[in-house]
Amino acid sequence: MRKFILLLLILNSIFFENSFSQINNASVILNSIYKKSLLAKDYSASAHIKVDLPFLKMLPINATIYFKQKDNFKIDSKSIAILPRQSFNQLSRMLENPSTYSSMIQSVELIRNIQTTVISVIPLSDTSDLILGKLWIDIDKKLVLKSQLTTKNNGTILTEYFYGYNAEFGLPDQLIFTVDIKKFKIPKSVSIDINNSSSDKVKKEKTGKIFITLTNYKINKGIDESEFKQNPKEK
Amino acid sequence: MFLKSVYNECLKIASKPRSYIGVGAITLIIGVILFAMKVDGMTYISFITAPFEQSLSFVGEILNGNLMAFIILQMLIIHIPLLIAFVTGDLISGEGAMGTIRMILTKPISRTGILLSKYVAGCLYTLGVLMWMALIAIFVGKIMFGTGDLMVLNSDGLTIIQAKDVGIRFIYGFSVAYLALVMIATLSLTFSCFSDNSIGPIVSTMGLIILFTIIGTLDVPVFAKLQPFLFTTHMAAWRNFFEDPIPYEKIKTSIVVLTGHIILLLSIAIYKFNKKDILS
Repeated sequence: MRKFILLLLILNSIFFENSFSQINNASVILNSIYKKSLLAKDYSASAHIKVDLPFLKMLPINATIYFKQKDNFKIDSKSIAILPRQSFNQLSRMLENPSTYSSMIQSVELIRNIQTTVISVIPLSDTSDLILGKLWIDIDKKLVLKSQLTTKNNGTILTEYFYGYNAEFGLPDQLIFTVDIKKFKIPKSVSIDINNSSSDKVKKEKTGKIFITLTNYKINKGIDESEFKQNPKEK
Repeated sequence: MFLKSVYNECLKIASKPRSYIGVGAITLIIGVILFAMKVDGMTYISFITAPFEQSLSFVGEILNGNLMAFIILQMLIIHIPLLIAFVTGDLISGEGAMGTIRMILTKPISRTGILLSKYVAGCLYTLGVLMWMALIAIFVGKIMFGTGDLMVLNSDGLTIIQAKDVGIRFIYGFSVAYLALVMIATLSLTFSCFSDNSIGPIVSTMGLIILFTIIGTLDVPVFAKLQPFLFTTHMAAWRNFFEDPIPYEKIKTSIVVLTGHIILLLSIAIYKFNKKDILS
């Protein structure tokens, strides 16, 4: 399947002039994005998480997130928080080693009135969790404005990035994750609410969103590795 | 005189060994549940979270004292009626079986007064059992598991209630659960008025609960019009307090139906007890 997609992309690219230079440009752009992500060696931030999924009812919660290169991530929350499995460092992990994927410029699109270059990323290894990645990149500012990652284990998640004061580090002020919910099924066997029939709303709605607003960034202030010991609370 | 009679009935309930079967059983069951959850609680949690975990991750203390109290209430509310009926089903028929009812009726208090004093004592016993359950479920649960947000699985999805809102919902939930148990106590007391032995009212009460539960869950049109009026349909009304938003109209309907049943059954019990021939 992956090879087929790769073949399609290559066939598609031969209709364009300078196809090889496009492939090269894609790699250069992704490399510049990855290098920018390395500017923040560590950071912490306050997160306001609002979940809007049809099968889930919960009030917004506050949490604190911690990150340290290269893949230490922790979230501290007194409340129960729900996050997409592909969340904060999935993108930089994907772009970490250019020899593991093939990339190609697909098109140019406008996102929030900003011209973005759409780059497809396909891993070269069959064992990779990633099946296909699609990134919408503002080349001038070297920022990812939107990403769509399809993985074997976690399905497809569309992420929109909104930047503010910390754009120079490639750190967003807000993330909006769009999650495909049509595959979620409520296990009725563990629900004893026998007098309630299932709501049609859950069946009709196909997607849900998770909004994460990040404030109070503390960048490159130094976070001890011991802070990132396995978080037993996370499931 | 009425209060003295209630006090006497309370003493009678307290002096019977069967009154402690319920309390002991609840303590044992809750102990077993808490132990099992402490040892292997995350497996139980994974039944709830598994369908969502492909794309989502849950962060925070899901397995906490509030969840334990909810699970215990959910499990035991099905079995507590039997433990309540053990005592309240014996209130009149037990006196008949022992031959003491004639002596009670010599007291300077009306038959209705005697029945109501027994009924009030039965309701107080029910309250005591429920309070005991709440006490060990919530407090021991919180000591063992700590506190945190409550994650409830309903038929249409998950509801996560913040820890600060859980306490008041438990108070309301236990109140409606108490009303449902009082309804069971009234039912068994009414059966007790028709019988001269204790087993009959207890078995009849449980039999009726089982019958109505089956009718309530059978998804056939012939029972559809009947289901809203069955008391068993409203016995899980306490659970509505753990939905978001809280369906107040539904709860109100359940309270009205349960209260209606209580008034009707108590009226039947009073009528029967007043007309009852005391032959023993």
